[in-house]
Amino acid sequence: MKNKNIIIAGAVIAIIISVMAPFLASSNPDGLDMNLINLVGGGNEEHAEEFIGERAPIEYEAPMPDYSIEGMGKLGEVVAIVAGTLLMLGISLGLAKVLGKKQGT
Amino acid sequence: MHIGDGLIPLEQTIIYWLIALVFIAKSLEWARKDLDEMKIPMLAALGAGIFAIQAMNIPIPWGTSGHMMGAALAAIILGSPFAGVLLLTLVLVVQGVVFADGGITAMGANIVNMGVVGGFVGFYSYNALKNSIGMTGASFAAGWLSIFIASLVCAVQMYFAGIFPLWEGLLLMGLYHAVIGVVGEGLITAIALNRIMAVRPDVVSEKSIPGVGVAA
Repeated sequence: MKNKNIIIAGAVIAIIISVMAPFLASSNPDGLDMNLINLVGGGNEEHAEEFIGERAPIEYEAPMPDYSIEGMGKLGEVVAIVAGTLLMLGISLGLAKVLGKKQGT
Repeated sequence: MHIGDGLIPLEQTIIYWLIALVFIAKSLEWARKDLDEMKIPMLAALGAGIFAIQAMNIPIPWGTSGHMMGAALAAIILGSPFAGVLLLTLVLVVQGVVFADGGITAMGANIVNMGVVGGFVGFYSYNALKNSIGMTGASFAAGWLSIFIASLVCAVQMYFAGIFPLWEGLLLMGLYHAVIGVVGEGLITAIALNRIMAVRPDVVSEKSIPGVGVAA
């Protein structure tokens, strides 16, 4: 089935991006966070984080916060992002197969 | 522009979740009707690709950065705004639950911004432009517009939450994302569509080929 090639090509491109991301991606705060720092924290990142932390309605600990694994540095980031990419590949393929049309072979 | 927990009051997050759930239900309906042997692998490839590209923050001036949403690209390739809704929902669930990127209570608001607004603005602006300026120009414009409008909606959500003043929030969110959108969304959307058309034009929805109406 040549359509398998679509998954393989997509997975290869996505994994290449995932491996490069920890080295190439900008660590500057994103547009929303920048606004939070300036408009809420008065230009101070810690003040903004404190403000948000006090208001947080739930305490939830994600297994790999900020796309990193504690104590593993850049390698941990690569592992985290690649794992997320593979997880997304599996979830979207699984969901699409369950929902999609069953066509006769 | 992932909104974390603690910014939007709980009762408002419930409203965004309800809006998101209506569109998620519609997107599942779309998937059941529309996903065929060609679109199933494409949805999976886009899911992996969008997650990966969202980890790639591109620097812009003012010491800030931003990344692609991908809803416009998904909507164009799969021929439905609901493709953007479904894929961004999955991406936001994985990001929020596994990586603490975007909140859990705030996830509905993020799905509304990046999935619903991104997917619908991307899909309909692409279709409005594809016949006059061609696929490459239309996909660039659709990508740019999708992230720009989504950022304005995010600013309004932050205003209702009592976090940002309205005009300053709109101005700064709009300004940052107008810049992020040029390379971060517009250019990547146009290049990705252009490359896929060069290699496998058969995987792009016929609805997105110029000359074919949206309703066709």
